[in-house]
Amino acid sequence: MSDLIQLSEDERDCYQEITNVAMGQAADRLARLLGVYVVLPIPNVNLIEINEFKMTLKSLEGNSTVSAVCQGFIGAGIAGEALLIFNDASFAEIAKLLDYPGNLDQHEELEMLMDVANVLNGACIQGIGEQLDIDFSQSHPVILGQHCSIADLLEPNQSRWQRTMAIEINYTIEDHNINCDLLLLFTEDSVVHMNRLISFLMDD
Amino acid sequence: MTTKVLICDDSKMARKQMARALPAGWPVDVHFAKDGQEAIDLIKVQSFEVLFLDLTMPVLDGYATLEVIRQEDLPIMVLVVSGDIQPEAQERVKKLGAIDFIKKPVDAEQIKQVLIEYGILRDQAHE
Repeated sequence: MSDLIQLSEDERDCYQEITNVAMGQAADRLARLLGVYVVLPIPNVNLIEINEFKMTLKSLEGNSTVSAVCQGFIGAGIAGEALLIFNDASFAEIAKLLDYPGNLDQHEELEMLMDVANVLNGACIQGIGEQLDIDFSQSHPVILGQHCSIADLLEPNQSRWQRTMAIEINYTIEDHNINCDLLLLFTEDSVVHMNRLISFLMDD
Repeated sequence: MTTKVLICDDSKMARKQMARALPAGWPVDVHFAKDGQEAIDLIKVQSFEVLFLDLTMPVLDGYATLEVIRQEDLPIMVLVVSGDIQPEAQERVKKLGAIDFIKKPVDAEQIKQVLIEYGILRDQAHE
């Protein structure tokens, strides 16, 4: 096992601020797409173990079922996954905003999920990349599950990693019942690398 | 004459970035606050000319801070500095009395232009 990665208070603050700027850009894109105002939270930045991660996800889930999309990103020795989790109750609202007529079939929901994921993940990853001067390549978004429980999402992917840096952003939309969580997960090696990059931002 | 400037942001890095982005050669006395409440408390005990105010903060966020400044008629010019670049956010802060909106990451040249525009910084070229 590798030495445990660490985050100092200043480093955490720096990631939080970088995320703050990136999620603002993402929110702006979503606001324009849906014609709404996106309420921006203070992002959470944490180093977490897989068990804690499961608890984090559980706490996001509440009682309802969710749909989730993940999208990998890689560049300059940094790799991670953006995981977007939608409360299923949000779908009908988004559909209304996007002028989908009537009840949604599964295919339309999928399309909508992909659209929103592309906007939010894409802008956020790009925004972080710009500030660190990295051109991230992004993989195609992959559906992890539709209308399932968080436990179902995690089951097949349990053993792949131990500890990660997680950035959690909870987007809500004003006056609409829409709620989604964007989790950015970085590999341990990436964090070592990124800590070096942000030291240039924090100095001088 | 020295201008008294207050920078309010919950992020230490953002406060430093903001302070660094102030025009070179502008005689300023810079103070810092970690959230809106700290800023309000400071403004009440000493006078500041300019407040650079973040929006997303714990305790008292930028919107609530602007409301307090307006309600209590505190004499300070507020420039909002935020990553929230939604047009709606910019409209709201201007309605709440902010004189302008500066987007993050801050750009020294833009800050200089804004300060000149509002007569806070006199353009040295004209002096």
